[in-house]
Amino acid sequence: MNSKTLVYIAKRIGLAILTVWVVITITFFVMRAVPGGPFMGEKAISPAAQAALEAKYGLDRPLSEQYFTYLKDIVTHFDFGPSLKQRGRTVTEIIADGMRTSVKLGVIAAFSALAVGVVLGAVAALRRNSLLDRAVMVITTAFVSMPSFIMGSLLLVLFAVRLKVLPANGTTGAGLILPIITLSLYPMAYITRLTRSSMLDVLGQDYIRTARAKGVSGMKIIFGHALKNALIPVITYFGPMLAYIVTGSLVVERIFSVPGIGRAFVQSITNRDYPMVMGTTIVLACLIVVMNLVSDILYKVVDPRINLE
Amino acid sequence: MKKSLALLLALCLTLSLAACGGGGGGTAGTADTGAGGDEAEPVNVAASDGALAVCLASEPDSIDPALNSSVDGATLIIHLFSGLAKWAQSDDGNLTIAPDAAEELPEGVTNEDGTVTYTYTLRDGLQWSDGQPVTAADFVYSWNRAASVSLAADYCYMFEVVQGYNDIWETDADGNPVNPDAKLSVEALDERTLQVTLYNAVSYWNELLAFPAYMPVREDVVADESWATKPETLICNGPYTITDWAHDSLITMEKSTTYIDADSVTMDKLEFYLSDDANNMLSNFQNGSWQLIDSIPTNEIPKLKEEYPTQFVVTGQIGTYYVCWNINEDILPASSTLTGAEAEAARAEIRNAIALLFDRNYIVEDISQGGQVPASSFVAMGMTEPDGTEFYRNAGHSDAFVGYYDVSTDAIESNYAAAVETLKKYYTFDEASQTFTDFPSLTYLYNTDEGHKAIAEYLQSAMAGIGITVNLENQEWKTFLNTRKNGDYSIARNGWLADYNDPICFLDMWTTNSGNNDVQFGRGDHASVIAYGVDLRDVGIPDDVHPVAAWPDNTYDHGTWAETYDVLISAIKTCTDNDTRYRLMHAAEDLLMSTGCIAPLYFYTDLYMLSDSVEGFYSNPLGFKYFMHCTISAYG
Repeated sequence: MNSKTLVYIAKRIGLAILTVWVVITITFFVMRAVPGGPFMGEKAISPAAQAALEAKYGLDRPLSEQYFTYLKDIVTHFDFGPSLKQRGRTVTEIIADGMRTSVKLGVIAAFSALAVGVVLGAVAALRRNSLLDRAVMVITTAFVSMPSFIMGSLLLVLFAVRLKVLPANGTTGAGLILPIITLSLYPMAYITRLTRSSMLDVLGQDYIRTARAKGVSGMKIIFGHALKNALIPVITYFGPMLAYIVTGSLVVERIFSVPGIGRAFVQSITNRDYPMVMGTTIVLACLIVVMNLVSDILYKVVDPRINLE
Repeated sequence: MKKSLALLLALCLTLSLAACGGGGGGTAGTADTGAGGDEAEPVNVAASDGALAVCLASEPDSIDPALNSSVDGATLIIHLFSGLAKWAQSDDGNLTIAPDAAEELPEGVTNEDGTVTYTYTLRDGLQWSDGQPVTAADFVYSWNRAASVSLAADYCYMFEVVQGYNDIWETDADGNPVNPDAKLSVEALDERTLQVTLYNAVSYWNELLAFPAYMPVREDVVADESWATKPETLICNGPYTITDWAHDSLITMEKSTTYIDADSVTMDKLEFYLSDDANNMLSNFQNGSWQLIDSIPTNEIPKLKEEYPTQFVVTGQIGTYYVCWNINEDILPASSTLTGAEAEAARAEIRNAIALLFDRNYIVEDISQGGQVPASSFVAMGMTEPDGTEFYRNAGHSDAFVGYYDVSTDAIESNYAAAVETLKKYYTFDEASQTFTDFPSLTYLYNTDEGHKAIAEYLQSAMAGIGITVNLENQEWKTFLNTRKNGDYSIARNGWLADYNDPICFLDMWTTNSGNNDVQFGRGDHASVIAYGVDLRDVGIPDDVHPVAAWPDNTYDHGTWAETYDVLISAIKTCTDNDTRYRLMHAAEDLLMSTGCIAPLYFYTDLYMLSDSVEGFYSNPLGFKYFMHCTISAYG
């Protein structure tokens, strides 16, 4: 890596930190502007109890003071504070629990999507217009256009209720199979199509023709030259996709009752659990920012022609 | 090769992410622990390891007995903790309050000042799950903690009957507690003797003793604020202990060896799955993984009733679904010249007339479909009078029907005609179209939910039938609560579930300063409206009994809300004669219903699915579910 690249990376990291700070600030103040507080319930608590709770969690201080205290706590000792809703648990604990499941789910789903997608896409491109190619295209079109809640519900009814071969609840190890399949179908289909079109594009390039003319073996052309270059768009897609899968699996988490971060995030907003809202927002924002950053850097690494400036 | 470098980078990144996801917590249990990772076989989980698997709701906010305020949390708590009393099922299937940690539940002794003192002896040999003895001092500590300002628990008011509570919560003008050292009148006379003094005799006292807030915790255990979130720190004294807790997934309980009545506990292992998705619950019930689910998708109800006639269960739940009006919303036509008490009387008559337009049978049979009961009074079905009859059956003053209006199907037409006649007194009626032309348009507020929406649309169409335009507005839950509490609405959806079997918990919420006074009685313009009167002779209080000190002749005329309703409620709270007390509560409900601000629609029911294989299950009127005496018969 040359110095230009390093400067670029440093710049991007700076920008990433700025982005996260902006997200924190906006979320902090917008969250407080939403009507209804964390201690409001169907059955009202007395004003004295309300005051006692606000004092306990520092919500009685001026908003600006709370904001700076919050920033100080996360910068100096990475402390997201206690959950206001789940008494006795810290935000860090709850997020760690949720992330453990979501990351496991997301990573397995993303890599299976990548593996299957690249192979299917490459094969489809190499057998262009064959029956196999057409079949792959039809199936992937269906998967790309079918929303995950329909796919999830179908899989649930078929495998968990009718055939009873897989659990309907995502709590146990085997219970993660259905959510993983549901989550991976869309990116798998997308990667297949991406690989196929990019592969077709590469196969038509002059240097492939030159290699063929020079008598390079078919295998070597595909793996040594074509696939490597055809994967560049897949790499750019993969980073954000991974972040999306980890953060955006709320629907799948609901259908299969998977205790992931998506569910925790949405519930924290409904509950007005301010520290939880902040904590999850920060973690998810960081994830997306980092994934985008990594995919940009990878992009540069695999294709030296790309000018980062 | 650069390609492999790229892949390596990507892999490192994901691994590090996985690592930081796994490292930060330090809590017990991970998502993939729990009842066998290999559920893939189509076998019944319960049959395989003898555990009863149920799903009530998602992770409770807290299972600290003092902090919990949810019904599902209460169910967990009654399996873990043992209070002085408990709900028990007798041989004939009826539920009674029976002693649990106490040897017996003696009658109280009335003191000269009207306070009542109870003395309890704890059973010999009570133990915490770590083997330490349960003492009377533990109860003293727990009750004071649960009622304290510093804990500020949602259910601290469950202790308002205990002497000392009012001192604890007395505040100055700025809302600061005046007596920071105040305590409840409860003391440990020795290791096993507990004495408590109440402000006055309370008929539901034994029931309170079986309520989670009254269950004991130990001071050294709760010193760690996270004690009730981890199996290793959750020291309890009840039939079960938590052996594993995968947060947001599964709580596993196993029979406690230290529980004094361990012999009576027939179910060795309980699995409480944590989920809030009714469809997912149903899938797990249908494939035999779970034996009880406490939430059912509304649109599946008709089908499930047919498919599972014995497993689809409808039981009573003490609660009322109703429509509430903002009392300060002016609904008189622009041309009206009425003011003050006259205007308020007119509005009350109008609101009561509109309540007659709704076909409650249609709502319960075609919309909510869960066996709910059409309601014609506010205090819910399930509340009993001292003589054992149902409170709601004695509500209202009609011999012809139960409650304040006739909600039977036969009465729909006459109700409609009566409503129109009443409204004609105030609004212009167009005979050709059979509609009113100058009724101001209204907005009906409800919280976002398909069920509430369907009811809102029905109410809208019912009122549109006579020319009243109703706009519908839905808001997200907490925004909705905020709007309704602040009185920024004209009509709103509302509902109330009882905390204990006494009508006062439906009535004291409407006093002027109550935090639940969504109608805004006695507030704003209504504060100065002198439109209310009470005649205690109407509810059968004899002339020689004077339950309200301020009303020597048992009547009061021309008062504000604070001078009538609030006075009545405080009289009920200090009344020591049970019969008089219930009569006063009827008087309070009469006054409440006369304002027309409350239009009850139906009494709630509790719906759940319970597998045929489970025997010995029961639930109490508050919705707490008891699994300790269950057995599972082998099936399918």
